[in-house]
Amino acid sequence: MNKNNTQTNNFSLSNDKVSATILLVPALIFCTIFIFIPAIGTIVGSFYSYSLTSMNNWKWVGFGNYVKATQDEYFWVALKNNFIIVFASIVLQVGVGTILAAILDRGIKYGRVIFRTIIFTPMVISSVAVSLIWLIIYDPNVGILNAIFKSIGLSTPSKGWLGDPNISIWMIMITAAWQNTGFMMVLILAGLQGVSKEVYDAAEIDGATGVKAFWYITLPMIRNVLIVAILITTIGAFKVFEFIFVFTQGGPSNATQVLGTYIYLQAFNLLHMGYANALSVILLIIALFLGWLQLKSSRKA
Amino acid sequence: MNFLKFITKKIYLFIFSLFLSFGFITSSYAVDITIWDLSGRNGQDEFYDNLNKEYKKINPDVNIILQTFENEAYKTQIQVALNGNDGPDVFFNWFGEDSARLARAGLALDITPYANVEGGYGNYISEGLSNTTAVNGKIYGVPNTSVSKYFHYDPAFFEANSLAVPKTFDDLLNLCRDIRAIDSSIVPWPLGNSERWKLNHVITMLNQRVVGEENTAADYNLSASEDELFTNPAYVEAWQKVVDLQDAGCFQDAPNATHPDLTRSMFASQISPMIYCGTWCGGIFNGEGFSDFSYFRFPEVVGGAGAATVGFLVPSGMMVSAKTAHPEIAAHVASFMVSDDMALQAAELMGFMPSNPTKIGEMSNPTHWFNFYVNDIADKTGHVNVLDVLLEANVSNAYLDMGTEILNRTKTPQEAMDFIRQVALEAKAAM
Repeated sequence: MNKNNTQTNNFSLSNDKVSATILLVPALIFCTIFIFIPAIGTIVGSFYSYSLTSMNNWKWVGFGNYVKATQDEYFWVALKNNFIIVFASIVLQVGVGTILAAILDRGIKYGRVIFRTIIFTPMVISSVAVSLIWLIIYDPNVGILNAIFKSIGLSTPSKGWLGDPNISIWMIMITAAWQNTGFMMVLILAGLQGVSKEVYDAAEIDGATGVKAFWYITLPMIRNVLIVAILITTIGAFKVFEFIFVFTQGGPSNATQVLGTYIYLQAFNLLHMGYANALSVILLIIALFLGWLQLKSSRKA
Repeated sequence: MNFLKFITKKIYLFIFSLFLSFGFITSSYAVDITIWDLSGRNGQDEFYDNLNKEYKKINPDVNIILQTFENEAYKTQIQVALNGNDGPDVFFNWFGEDSARLARAGLALDITPYANVEGGYGNYISEGLSNTTAVNGKIYGVPNTSVSKYFHYDPAFFEANSLAVPKTFDDLLNLCRDIRAIDSSIVPWPLGNSERWKLNHVITMLNQRVVGEENTAADYNLSASEDELFTNPAYVEAWQKVVDLQDAGCFQDAPNATHPDLTRSMFASQISPMIYCGTWCGGIFNGEGFSDFSYFRFPEVVGGAGAATVGFLVPSGMMVSAKTAHPEIAAHVASFMVSDDMALQAAELMGFMPSNPTKIGEMSNPTHWFNFYVNDIADKTGHVNVLDVLLEANVSNAYLDMGTEILNRTKTPQEAMDFIRQVALEAKAAM
């Protein structure tokens, strides 16, 4: 009887394994075609010099493209900008998102759903459409932002909001924050709603209310949600492309160049496909590291 | 069990109908010729509809299929498509370094053998024009139009304020100052350089006027020696002229943040009295409700090495993909587009400056700007191609970037040329 049971269990186990393998096959095929093969192609291509119009003429350069990256001023500008975007996105999207979530959770009594919907709405619009709308807002000749500044007696940047290399990246960040803060708010709000009311009642007895309660009770309690939010924002900031491409195409004078747009420029405009591959591999390594961090922290969360 | 039988029957039926339809398709011998072109041209759909109908009269089994793309996106997409297996048979291109690169890479078809066959492009356009597409003596394209650039101005404004059309570059500077003196809020010459190419067209002309086309040739094709490459001090002088224009108040405050479309609207709505705009602009101004404009050439730079009778001209037209399954038909379709009747239709419907002017006199109602463009292009003693089409990709990009830097005053003309020279030296070394 026992023997039979064991046999049945073994059969069922192996049957499960077969089913699992069969179910995994389609996903594996798609991943192989659309992720693994292109990724391997990119890594291989990064050791060669070739262009989009000379696909049959690959020249081996070893680590030459990676050495070139270390000496390329604009690569460092792009990387620096990615880090600026990471920092700004965390402050603007996660920071403001947390404050908004706290207000919606405990700060207001009425209209929570309406406010939540309004703040979340930009998230469902395509980034390209958002960029085009803000392009008109920022326009130095007919844009509403200039009109508002002038109407209250403030001066506007003479090179334009997007034409001034010192401020253009920040203007793009504001737009990105406008679009994505709502998502962060909803994510963090879900975390906040998981915090037991009893904890606040207990804290109130100990004299911790308002900002104090938020600082000492709320934030530590949603720590794991905040880590996930920060990681999602960080990865998004490294992958950023559409905003920069539509707003400035990396200009003025490469001031808003990020890795995504710089790879595009090198591959399709300057025809350095091998070099673009090397830059993509660097971006891939950064993304993998961040992905690993995200996975680790999500498990903890 | 019955269900299984039912399903099996359905599958057999499906496979049988597939065979039937396959047989039907193959028996008709229809050939699809896909053409890729830029989008947004007035009258384009009507032109291609007519092209399809007219071509069917001589070759009923050929379907011409048009796919259009936005200007900036097209530059990338065509390169990707030509490398793949699903690209167009015939495609639009600007003739210069862009087209030559495709030819050198073997992505464009050598259409020299199709020049003088029946209906070949050699029957319709001049050899000189065909040669603008030549690489190593072989022809790779069929130019169907050319674009040039002129100052368009508002004669009513000029007349009301007793302003004269500038003859020299200094006159142009004074004109800007005079307009600002009339009303400082008027932008004399709106410049939309957010996509970088607008100033590139201006510096193309300034290089020609100041440096001279004979002196630029060796630098532009990177054949000058390393010691001499882009060292002519006149290049710095040409950039300085841009600074002078800005100092004279010609442009609005933030040209690098202004889209070219907006500047066209500023002129068309008579907010600004002049604009340097291409031969495609006349129809746009008219479409926006302003047709009482006039034109003048880019003024002479006194003391410059280039003649004022030389103009800006970018030939463009159709190339044939080297991967087309029907090279002969594709080359024939490209040629048919410049046949006498189709060239006339291109001029009438799309405002093209046709490469085949045989029937130009038969145009029903040519606009005043069309007549001006055609006659003036013919009057010029020579032409220069625009830098972002003509130069090697890296040098072209350096020129585009430096235009932005000069307008932002983040680089001096000398620093801009030092940078361009450095990029040119690297590009020459990589050749």
